[in-house]
Amino acid sequence: MNLETGKIPGYQLIFLIMGFVSSLSMLFLPTQPAKNLAWLAILVSIIEGLLFASIYTALALRFPGKTLVEINEFILGPLVGKIVSLGFLWYFLHLASLHLRNYGDFFTIVYPETPLIVFLIATIFVCALAVKNGIEVIARCSILLVSLIIFLYFFDLFILLKEMDLSKLLPLRNVSVQDFFKASNAVNSVSFGETIIFMMIFPFLNKYVEARKSLLAIIIAGLLIAISAARNTAVMGDLLSIFQYPTYETLKIVDVGDFLTRMEIVVSINFISMGFLKISILYYGLVLGTAQLLKLRTYHPLVFPFGVIITVLGVINYGAISELIPFALEIYPLYSFPFEIGIPLFLLVTAVVRGLPKKTKGDQI
Amino acid sequence: MNKFSLQIKKMVVLLLVLTLIPFMMSGCWNRRELDKIAIVAAGGIDKENKDKIKITAQVFKVGEIKSPQSGGSATGKPYVNFEGVATTSFEAIRKITQIASRKLYWSHNQIFVFGKEIAQEGIEKYIDFFVRDHETRLMVNVLVSKGTAHEILTTETDLETIPAMNINDIIKDLGATSQAPQITLKDIAERLLSKTSAAVAPLVEVQEINKKKHARIAGTAVFKKGKMVGELTPEESRGYLWVIGKVKSGIINVKTDDGTKRASLEIIRANNKINADIKDGQLVITVKIKEEGTLNEQDSPKNLTELPLWHSLELLQAAAIHREITAALKKSQEYNADIFGFGEVVHRKYPLLWKDLEKQWDELFPYLKVNIEVQAKLRRSGLITKPISPSTEE
Amino acid sequence: MFRFIMRKLHFLHLLHHNPLQDKNKEPEKDPATTLLTKDLQQNLAKLKKILGTSNDIIIRTFTFGSNNIEAALIFLDGMVDKTTVNESILLPLMYEYPQSKSDEDSSWNNIEDIQQKLITVGEVKKTYAVQDTILSILSGDSILLINDLNQALIISTRGWEARGITEPQTEATVRGPRESFTETLRTNTTLLRRKLKDPNFTLETLVLGKRTQTDVAIAYLKGIVNPRLIEEIKRRLNQIDTDAILESGYIEEYIEDNPFSPFATIANSEKPDVIAAKLLEGRAAILVDGTPFVLTVPMLFVESFQTAEDYYSRAYYTSILRLLRFLSFLLSILSPALYVALTTFHQELIPTPLLLTMAAAREGTPFPAMVEAIGMGIIFEILREAGVRLPRPVGQAISIVGALVIGDAAVSAGLVGAPMVIVVALTAIASFVVPAQTDVGSILRIFLTLLAGFLGAFGIAIGILGVLVHMCALRSFGTPYLSPLAPLSTGDLKDVFIRVPLWDMFARPRTIGWIDPQRQAFRLKPEPPPKKD
Repeated sequence: MNLETGKIPGYQLIFLIMGFVSSLSMLFLPTQPAKNLAWLAILVSIIEGLLFASIYTALALRFPGKTLVEINEFILGPLVGKIVSLGFLWYFLHLASLHLRNYGDFFTIVYPETPLIVFLIATIFVCALAVKNGIEVIARCSILLVSLIIFLYFFDLFILLKEMDLSKLLPLRNVSVQDFFKASNAVNSVSFGETIIFMMIFPFLNKYVEARKSLLAIIIAGLLIAISAARNTAVMGDLLSIFQYPTYETLKIVDVGDFLTRMEIVVSINFISMGFLKISILYYGLVLGTAQLLKLRTYHPLVFPFGVIITVLGVINYGAISELIPFALEIYPLYSFPFEIGIPLFLLVTAVVRGLPKKTKGDQI
Repeated sequence: MNKFSLQIKKMVVLLLVLTLIPFMMSGCWNRRELDKIAIVAAGGIDKENKDKIKITAQVFKVGEIKSPQSGGSATGKPYVNFEGVATTSFEAIRKITQIASRKLYWSHNQIFVFGKEIAQEGIEKYIDFFVRDHETRLMVNVLVSKGTAHEILTTETDLETIPAMNINDIIKDLGATSQAPQITLKDIAERLLSKTSAAVAPLVEVQEINKKKHARIAGTAVFKKGKMVGELTPEESRGYLWVIGKVKSGIINVKTDDGTKRASLEIIRANNKINADIKDGQLVITVKIKEEGTLNEQDSPKNLTELPLWHSLELLQAAAIHREITAALKKSQEYNADIFGFGEVVHRKYPLLWKDLEKQWDELFPYLKVNIEVQAKLRRSGLITKPISPSTEE
Repeated sequence: MFRFIMRKLHFLHLLHHNPLQDKNKEPEKDPATTLLTKDLQQNLAKLKKILGTSNDIIIRTFTFGSNNIEAALIFLDGMVDKTTVNESILLPLMYEYPQSKSDEDSSWNNIEDIQQKLITVGEVKKTYAVQDTILSILSGDSILLINDLNQALIISTRGWEARGITEPQTEATVRGPRESFTETLRTNTTLLRRKLKDPNFTLETLVLGKRTQTDVAIAYLKGIVNPRLIEEIKRRLNQIDTDAILESGYIEEYIEDNPFSPFATIANSEKPDVIAAKLLEGRAAILVDGTPFVLTVPMLFVESFQTAEDYYSRAYYTSILRLLRFLSFLLSILSPALYVALTTFHQELIPTPLLLTMAAAREGTPFPAMVEAIGMGIIFEILREAGVRLPRPVGQAISIVGALVIGDAAVSAGLVGAPMVIVVALTAIASFVVPAQTDVGSILRIFLTLLAGFLGAFGIAIGILGVLVHMCALRSFGTPYLSPLAPLSTGDLKDVFIRVPLWDMFARPRTIGWIDPQRQAFRLKPEPPPKKD
């Protein structure tokens, strides 16, 4: 039963994770409680993220060639495993639709008169195209897109140097410890914790051991986000706290010699390509997992229906953007806790205690 | 995957795209052609009556500016001012569409002028729209008019085509004298968010030259919690700019030869350093200024480049800077407006103490002890050393 | 879907009899009618019946030897080299045969001897099959039939009026060889042979097209090319079962990886040096008789941005040119779309003075920017097509009329804004910089302009993403189309955006085959000789 015949080398995994992690994070992160220490909160959350990622890789290395859905069934037995997998698939579905909606919301700000659904459909259409072509194609796209983003990222950084005032990053003891960790937890759960989806992709690595490279990718991506948060704070100062899309606003004020002005379009390009990667990866994990759960021969028939479901769910997710920030800050870390760390940790502990997988051959499920 | 279902799916996708196309065609959505928008160059707010405001929008008449077809024989003014009266900014702007044939387009707004009355009433409730809307710019230059905003936007221009561009270019060149700050909407918004720091904005007035009304920059308006509370003169404005480190260039006049003659010194570069300390339980702010200048003009017959005279010139320069800063400080303490952001400095240095200080800052600031240390140097004397007069020494 | 079924049905009956596949089988197994008999007249009658009465078929009957053996030489007038026929076939048979009569008369009536001792032509074959003789005649060979023998001699006498080797019409160079392929397959293989004096240079020929009987040759360098690539090419070529192969473009369409893609996944060139260089990188070439355009596979996207001259001139300027070509390609597909997006959606991104100029130019023009852009784009395509199709002198007139009169008149009449004319002209010029992608460029340009007109920059970005996904999924004979960019192959980047000096290109491209990676010795960087003290 081979749902995916493509194989991706380790370096492509780095690009994939970088694109995945830094996508929305460059535009919107729930760091408001950390105020001017957003960058520090992100740095702290990298450590949390590494912790999470090492659990995922440990699990993946223990069961080489198995996706999360297969691991669930292997450890928890067919029935419970299926139920847990179903939970994960719901989580992926919900995530994909959340991100899609978030994505659409951003564009309704730039294009206030255009209906939201247009952005959702256009985006999911391109994502579906990528998902249909398999993980290899998504990985190849990620190389080009992430390279472009990194180039634009340093370009932004360079043109904003003039506007920066590093003293705005101070003072360090400005926020209460509680608020600080609230922010860093939120950052971790919306950016690094979601790499649980890569449990669906690790099996398609050329060499299983290269799953460890995800740690490196998380560090790089985390640093990029942290620097961009620091940049935003250094440019905008306290003003950041009133904006929905800090990076977008930050680039709005660029003015280099009256010629390079209002670079917010760069953020949009960033956001389109990264959002595309993030949604495609979640979407791919979702259809692949469903196909494995239903023991289908191919996931292709699922791509279209799930695209419709994600879009519809994206529309009805929430009413206004003002519902999103409390959700991201207060509810989401709790909601995502079992999926991002609870169950994976439980699986890993169970596997270690029971000595799974047994060394004997015949563990084919 | 058999070919059949693949083909079916292709048809479904095609169908989807086909249904999307009329959807796309029907609504123009955000499309606005260049010839359907009115590009706003400047905005102004004035008090109309007790609860109404008047928004003035200066719009480019692009056809009059330069049209490649009609050889540039422009007739009439290349701009038009639209006015809208309502209770909120947004409503007033929308009202303009009732008289203007095109939709106002604010993304290229260069300057924003507040009338004095509105500034004194408080600006924060009127700028909310301009920060919130996606079309307006945060980097628009903000000014306060000594009279109304409308009169500023109807001044004559000589070199530039329209008043907005004229004033905008004047503001960009403020660094040549450093006698008024260049303030954007972003700066104002940032200051308004702060509990202690006060906002400032350049003041602009109408001056009549040869019976033509011209706009002229005349010092700085000082705000306190969004309300204009006073003004700084051009000299005091430079004092303010010294402290925040925004002096780019300018002329310092000093008296030489026992006050009988004058010399003009040009500011080349200046550095600032603000530090907060607690000495003997008292908060002390130290402002250190390092300045470098050149001797650009003198009417004294003496050779001022000789060492003792040169040093005294440097001291005179330092004293002049000191005087300017003291004046600005005195004014700001008089208005009880922390325009220098000393509060932020304390905040950064003593974040824990700040929680208490923040609440009492209004009582503290007027009596805040500020040490001013000025170090001024002269580096060059232009192309000549001795003055153009017969030497007096021999 | 219907097309698919129709095609299946339509060609179903063709699968049952395929004369080409039976050609090389043993003659005994063939039906009797396709075999030659011992009776010359009967054979001639058969041939006449098949070949018809066209007047370019020459049947020269003659007798030779003291026994007056009847014989016939059959060939197509115009397809054979007359001198060869006269001096190497007819002359030896009719003049030299009698003299040898005195020796051993009987043994001379042996086709072996005629072939071995008399015919002074390089390539002579024997055959029993009528089919073979027919094909040979049609290809320009001469057939010698002798009474009492059920064999025919196929004597290679091909020679016809052919275009000489000229300068390439499509790929102009300032520096580099100026020869190009011609319509004759043999000339083309010779041109390649002269570049590659390597015994590993291999040509495999096959005949395609039932009615055209076109010779097709696969050329490659054994030991450098991936054998699986050759297998795949042969497999795909052998699947072609059609009437006619008139140009290499026919083959291209039959063997493409993704027939619905607007991108060409098979490269072509008419320059022998280009083809030789590609063979040396591990590619395979497909030469088709009757066209100077030689195909090479696999094709990478970046290949379109490389020209032969890149390797003949110095590296620095070449690298700048490479970047310029990428820029031009982007400009050619993006500039109208960007113009539309900027002027109708994102006016805030245009610097104010420029916006004022553009707005002044647009004042009073009747059409929306998108309609303007697409309309001007279509006018440009019409002008281009007219310029290509018309005889050269007229073509020039068209371009002058088009560029000056239409453009200028449209602007001064206020139909379109002057900036739009500039954008379209820029696009036009930029699109010619990368000739291999010009056609794709036109399609993408219209596609992206439409999207830009509906959704601005978002539309462009979504469009480009879609194209990117498509390109990432595209393969050319197993090689990812976007390699070495995606998948990334860092070693190959030496020849993508920049071209490093030749001495630094140690290895052949990794993405193509990679059977014999090393192309040259290490440390070839030229250095001054060590100083002697």
